Amino acid sequence: METKQGTVAVTLTVNGEKRVGVAEPRMLLSDFLRHGLGMTGTHVGCEQGVCGACTVLIDGQPGRSCLAFAVQVEGATVDTVEGMAEPGELSDVQQAFRAEHGLQCGFCTPGFLASTQALLEQNPDPTDDEIREYLSGNVCRCTGYQGIIAAVRRVATERKAASHDA
Amino acid sequence: MTLESTATDPAATSAASSATTPQQPRPARYVGRPVQRVEDPRLLSGQGRYIDDVALPGMLHAAFVRSPHAHARIVGIDATEALAVEGVVAVYTGKDLDWLAPMVSAGPMREGVLAQSRSPLAVEVARHVGDPVAVVLARSPYLAEDGRDLVDVEWEPLTPVLDPFAALHPDSPLVDEALGTNNISHLEQSAGDVDTAFAEADHVTRIRFHSGRSTAAPIECRGVVAEYEDRAGGRFNVYSSTQMPHLLRMLIAPVLGVSQGQLSVKAPDVGGAFGLKCTVFPEDIVVPAVARMSGRPVKWIEDRWEDLAAGVHSKDMHCSMEIAATADGTMTAFRGHFVTDSGAYSSIPFTPLVDSQVAGVYLSSCYGVQNVAYSIDNPLTNKCQIGAVRGVGWVPGQLAREVAIDQLARSLGKDPVELRLQNMIGPEVYTTPFGQTYDGGSYAAALEKARDAVDYPAFRQRQAQARADGRYLGVGFSPFVEPTGWGTASAAAGGLPNGFFDTASVTVEPDGSVTVTTGLHSHGQGHETTLAQVTADELGVAMDSVRIVFGDTDSSVFGMGTYASRSAVLGFGSIQESAVQVRDRLVRLAAAMLEADDADIELVDGVAAVKGVPGKTVPLQQIALFGYFGGPARPEDVQRDGLTATSGYNPGETYANGCAAAVVEVDVRTGLVSIEQLAAVEDCGVVLNPIIVKGQVAGALANGIGVALLEDLAYEDNGEFVSGSLMHYLYPSTTEVPDLTLHSIETPSAVSVGGVKGVGEAGTISAPAAIVNAVMDALSPFGIVIEKTPMTPEYIRGLVRAAEAAATGPARS
Ligand code: FES
Ligand code: FES
Repeated sequence: METKQGTVAVTLTVNGEKRVGVAEPRMLLSDFLRHGLGMTGTHVGCEQGVCGACTVLIDGQPGRSCLAFAVQVEGATVDTVEGMAEPGELSDVQQAFRAEHGLQCGFCTPGFLASTQALLEQNPDPTDDEIREYLSGNVCRCTGYQGIIAAVRRVATERKAASHDA
Repeated sequence: MTLESTATDPAATSAASSATTPQQPRPARYVGRPVQRVEDPRLLSGQGRYIDDVALPGMLHAAFVRSPHAHARIVGIDATEALAVEGVVAVYTGKDLDWLAPMVSAGPMREGVLAQSRSPLAVEVARHVGDPVAVVLARSPYLAEDGRDLVDVEWEPLTPVLDPFAALHPDSPLVDEALGTNNISHLEQSAGDVDTAFAEADHVTRIRFHSGRSTAAPIECRGVVAEYEDRAGGRFNVYSSTQMPHLLRMLIAPVLGVSQGQLSVKAPDVGGAFGLKCTVFPEDIVVPAVARMSGRPVKWIEDRWEDLAAGVHSKDMHCSMEIAATADGTMTAFRGHFVTDSGAYSSIPFTPLVDSQVAGVYLSSCYGVQNVAYSIDNPLTNKCQIGAVRGVGWVPGQLAREVAIDQLARSLGKDPVELRLQNMIGPEVYTTPFGQTYDGGSYAAALEKARDAVDYPAFRQRQAQARADGRYLGVGFSPFVEPTGWGTASAAAGGLPNGFFDTASVTVEPDGSVTVTTGLHSHGQGHETTLAQVTADELGVAMDSVRIVFGDTDSSVFGMGTYASRSAVLGFGSIQESAVQVRDRLVRLAAAMLEADDADIELVDGVAAVKGVPGKTVPLQQIALFGYFGGPARPEDVQRDGLTATSGYNPGETYANGCAAAVVEVDVRTGLVSIEQLAAVEDCGVVLNPIIVKGQVAGALANGIGVALLEDLAYEDNGEFVSGSLMHYLYPSTTEVPDLTLHSIETPSAVSVGGVKGVGEAGTISAPAAIVNAVMDALSPFGIVIEKTPMTPEYIRGLVRAAEAAATGPARS
C-alpha cells in the first residue's frame, strides 16, 4: 500500500510461512496483513481497539492487529484464521462454532476463533464465567453469544474426552 | 441456553381451519431440521469476501470531509494543501457533483410525508455532525485521510435545532429551509370511539417514555467500491454492503443519470446489517460518481466514527401513551402520541416514519382493545438521520404500551400477567381495529409459557425474601406481535401502500444439480442453507446439490431484498412456486423414461422411482440430461422451457408473536442493573431450521439488552456528537448477555406457503419493555417511574437518590 513516509521491509512468519512486505512506519498490522499480504481473513471492525474482530495470535498471544503497527512486530510469528486448519478442513474450534451456530455473518468470527484458541491453551477447562470473562473483549452483533459460548464449552469437553481416551 | 419447543396442532386452531392457502404436503427431509449451515466452512476459514476484500485494478481510495458542526453554512472549501500531498489525486466538492440529480427521500412510499431533496455532498449548508461536504481520492486510504485532514473548509456556524419539541414550534429555525417546516409528517389515525372510551373509563393511566437513540452498528462498517466502464454507452459496477441490491440499483441509477440497465449492484458477503444497510446513503452515489469523474475505480470503507455519526440512528422517540380501563381491568382504549427526533434528512427509502408510524399503527398488538388512536410527528433536527434498524418503531411502541400496562396493573392492584391475559385476543385469525389481519398465533400461550419459564410464583416469594435482605429483584413481561413476511398486503396494513413481492428462479442443470437465484440477500441469516433446505424438499433432491445465488443484480432475478424479517416467507413461497413447476416437468420426464404413469412417480433424494415397483428408478442426472437433450420424445413445454422456472410470491399478511420475560436485580447503591434471566418465547410459525431461528432470536434479544441498558448516541447541548467510538457507544458483550432461556411454539400461518411466518426482530422488540418493567418492579418500593432508555447506572442511581431524598427530605419530615 502506498504511503507518504518512507517504507521499510517487514518480515513475519505468518501461519508458519515466512512473509516479507513493505510498510510505512504508521501502517497498522491489520492493514499489513489484509492489504499488504492479501490475507483478508482478519477483519477490521473499529480500529479503536474495542471490537476484537482484528484479533490474531502474535507470538502465541492474542493481540489486536489494529492496535499494533506492522513494524512493531518485525520478526514475530503471527497466526491468523487462514492457518487454523489444513485447506478444506476445519479445526476442532472451527467445527464447534459451526455445530453450535456460533456465527451468523461471520465478520467477528476470526477474532473469536483466535481468542478461543488462546483461552483454551491457557485454561483447557474453563467455567462458563471464565469463558464469558475471557471473551468479553470480542463483540458480536449477530449471535447474542449463546452459540459462541456453547462452542467453546464443546471444544473443552471434546478435548478432555479425547485426552482421557488417549 | 435452554431450548424447548412445542408444536401446536395446526388443526387445533381456527387459524388453520380458515386457511386460504392449503398446507402443501411436502416430504420434509430438510425443512424443520437443524441442518448445519452451508456458508459456515467458508466463513470459518477466512474465505468470506466482504466489501473491504474487494480490490479492482488501479483503484483509488476515498476519504470524506465531514462537518464538525451540527448546523453550519459552507462559506468556502480550499483543497490546495490537500492536492499538494503526493499521492492525492483529486478532491471533489458538492459543486463539482452538480451533474447529479438530487437524492429524494421517497415521499411516494407513504402518503402524508413531505418529500425532501438533498445533494449527496452538502453544497450550501451542513446539517449534522458527519454530514459529508467533500471527498478526497488518493492512491491509498492513508494518503486519502492525509488529504482529508488538509482540506480547509470555512464554516459559518448556524443555530442548531436539537430539541424535537422546540423544532415543532412555528418560530423554530429550520433544518431544511426548502421544506418551510421542520415537521415532515404529522399523521393521525383512529378507530372505534376513543374519546367516549376515555370519557367513560373508570380508570385512565398516562405515561411518557423516551426511547433512546441507538443504532445497528454492525461489526462490519459500510463500504462502496465502484467502477465506470466507458463502453456500451457507459456502465457502472457498484459493489456495496447492502441488504437490497435491486432496490439500491433502482434508487441510485437515476441520481447518477443512467438507466438501471447501465448499473449493476453487487453485494458481497455482508458483515451484519440489521436494517441499517437497507438505506440509500450519500456515499452510494458519490463513490460511483467520482469513479466516473476520475476515470479510476474508487473504494471507500467507512470507519467506526463515520458509522456512528453519519449512518442511520434509530428509535429516538418521545412517546406518550394513555390507557382507558374499566374498574375490573378491561382495557377499553389506547391513545398514543409518537414524536420521532428525525435527524437532518428523511432517510431513503423508508423515512423516519419507519419508527413513528410503525409505533402507532400496530399499537393494539395482542390486545383486544377496540378503540385505538395515535398521532405522530416527525420533526427534523440537526442530528444524524433516523432510519430502519432492527425492531424499528415497534421497539418504542412496545415500550410505551407495555410500560403503561404495568403501570395500570400497579394502579389497579392487579397482577401484570393476569391483567394482560384478561385483555388478550384469542389464538384464531383476528382483525385489529386498524385493519391488520393476524394469521393466528399463540398470544396468551406465549405469555403463559414465559411466565412459567421464570417460575413466577416462586419468583415472587424470592423477591419478597430478597427485599427483606435489602436486595431489589424484579420481573417484567412483554408479549408482542410482529408483522413479518413483508408483502403487498402486510405493507399496506402497516401504512405502506405500494407493492412488495419477491421472485425466485429455479433451474435443474443438465447434470441434475440445482441453481436457485433470488433477489433476497443474506447477511448472517443463513439463506444459503434455509433456502437450499426448501428447494431440496420441494424437488426431492439432496441438499448439497442445491446452490443459492444472490447478491448481484446481474445474476439474480429482481427482488426486494432482505429486511423486516421477510425472507423466510418470501423465499419459501417464491422458491416453492417455481420448484413445483420444475418438479412437475421432472416427474413427466421420468414417467416417460420409466414408461410409467405420472401419478406413480416419486422423487426422493435425486432419484425418481415408480411407486410399488422396486428397482424401477432413474437418477435425476439422467432425467435432466434427457430433459435438455432428449429430442422430440420430451413433453413440449420441456422442449420450450427446459428445466427452469421463475415465479414470484406475494404472501398474505403474516405476523409472528411471542413474549419476553426478564428477571433483574438492581443495585440501588450503584444503579447497576444485572439481568438474572431473560426468557423468550417465539412463535414464528413453521420453523425452517431451529438452529438458525434460535440464533436469530438470541441475537435480537442481545440487541434488546443493549437498547434497554447500554446503547446511547449522545449529542451535547451545542449539537456536538459524543458517541463516536465503541468506547462511548456500548455494545452488550459476553458479560452483559446472560444464558438465555429460549422456548418456541409453532402456530403455522393460516396464509403463507408452508405456514412460515418469519423471525429476526422479535427479541429486539420484546426484550427492552420486559427489562424496563422488571427494573420498575424491582424498584417499586421506591415508587420509581422509569421514563427512558437506556437505563444507565447514572440514570437509575439518580432516580433512587431522588426517591430517597423525597422519602427523608424536609417535605416529609
Ligand atoms: S478492529 Fe481492532 S479492535 Fe476493532
Ligand atoms: S457473527 Fe456477525 S458479528 Fe458475530
